[in-house]
Amino acid sequence: MHEYSLVQAMFDQMEGIVAAQHARSVRRVRVRIGSLAGVDPTLFRTAYEVFRIKTFCDEAPLEIQEDASDALMLEQLELEVA
Amino acid sequence: MCVECGCGDPKIVPYDVHERLLAGNDRTARHNREHFRDHNVAAINLMGSPGAGKTAILEATARALGRTGASARVGVLTGDLATDNDANRLRAAGLVAETITTVNACHLDADMVHRGLHHLPWRTFDYLFIENVGNLVCPAVYDLGQDVNVVALSVTEGEDKPLKYPTMFHKADLVLITKIDLLPLLPDISLDVIEANLKCVMPVPRVMRVSARTGEGFDQWMTWLKERRHHSVPGHDAEVRTGVTA
Repeated sequence: MHEYSLVQAMFDQMEGIVAAQHARSVRRVRVRIGSLAGVDPTLFRTAYEVFRIKTFCDEAPLEIQEDASDALMLEQLELEVA
Repeated sequence: MCVECGCGDPKIVPYDVHERLLAGNDRTARHNREHFRDHNVAAINLMGSPGAGKTAILEATARALGRTGASARVGVLTGDLATDNDANRLRAAGLVAETITTVNACHLDADMVHRGLHHLPWRTFDYLFIENVGNLVCPAVYDLGQDVNVVALSVTEGEDKPLKYPTMFHKADLVLITKIDLLPLLPDISLDVIEANLKCVMPVPRVMRVSARTGEGFDQWMTWLKERRHHSVPGHDAEVRTGVTA
């Protein structure tokens, strides 16, 4: 169940972006998970849903793009800015 | 525009990231790798199921190095959720070993390895084995800064493990099929079938059949290890060292 560690790492990454971009919140998260990445997309989503409660991602649905690669990428965020 | 109070509607803007989810871990892994290269330490990430025989392989490696009179200095960082049993076993075998206790984590990450290095005289090593947490899933995802991945797969685990856990075996530079001394007791297990399954998932299949108990297959393993040694220091191989040797 390393999906929780991965989501934790993603939140650390996003926190830096939110601060640097002076964003109020994140409104959408797009990731890409390849079938050879060793990550279960369903578990990843479950972990995300647990982590995002009462955070800057509270209103950010997660979009997971799956492919046949070994990619494990944070592709794009939609940020709410003033 | 919000006309009620003039505060301004929030604006939603896309922000392209295109960064690996484990970018932070990758940075630390690169840092570890630079350290290892700078000091000519061959770092080997040893993975496999719980009970695959990882620790036994390292104990037998220490014995084999002792027999050949090799001068290699070997250190081990060993990860487990609890206890330092493995490190104790490895120290008893003559290796320099330190435990990384992961508590709840099912894998080692680059930062744990980095912190573990602070407790070992790793700069003096020819080989650093990182004995990962017993698990065929999670450890494959985290780069630790190693040169190579070795996966131990015991004959008692069944023939189809490579097909069930393809990511782990896909990332392996070498698979050691362990406990082959047990084969006479396992009439339904075929080494050929295990190897055929490995060939399905390993981009460059490299497989050795070994027994830590009898030492069978260890000549090949020792040769492979010797080839992994860094040769950037002239005469590095010929140097005879004493002290904490395997």
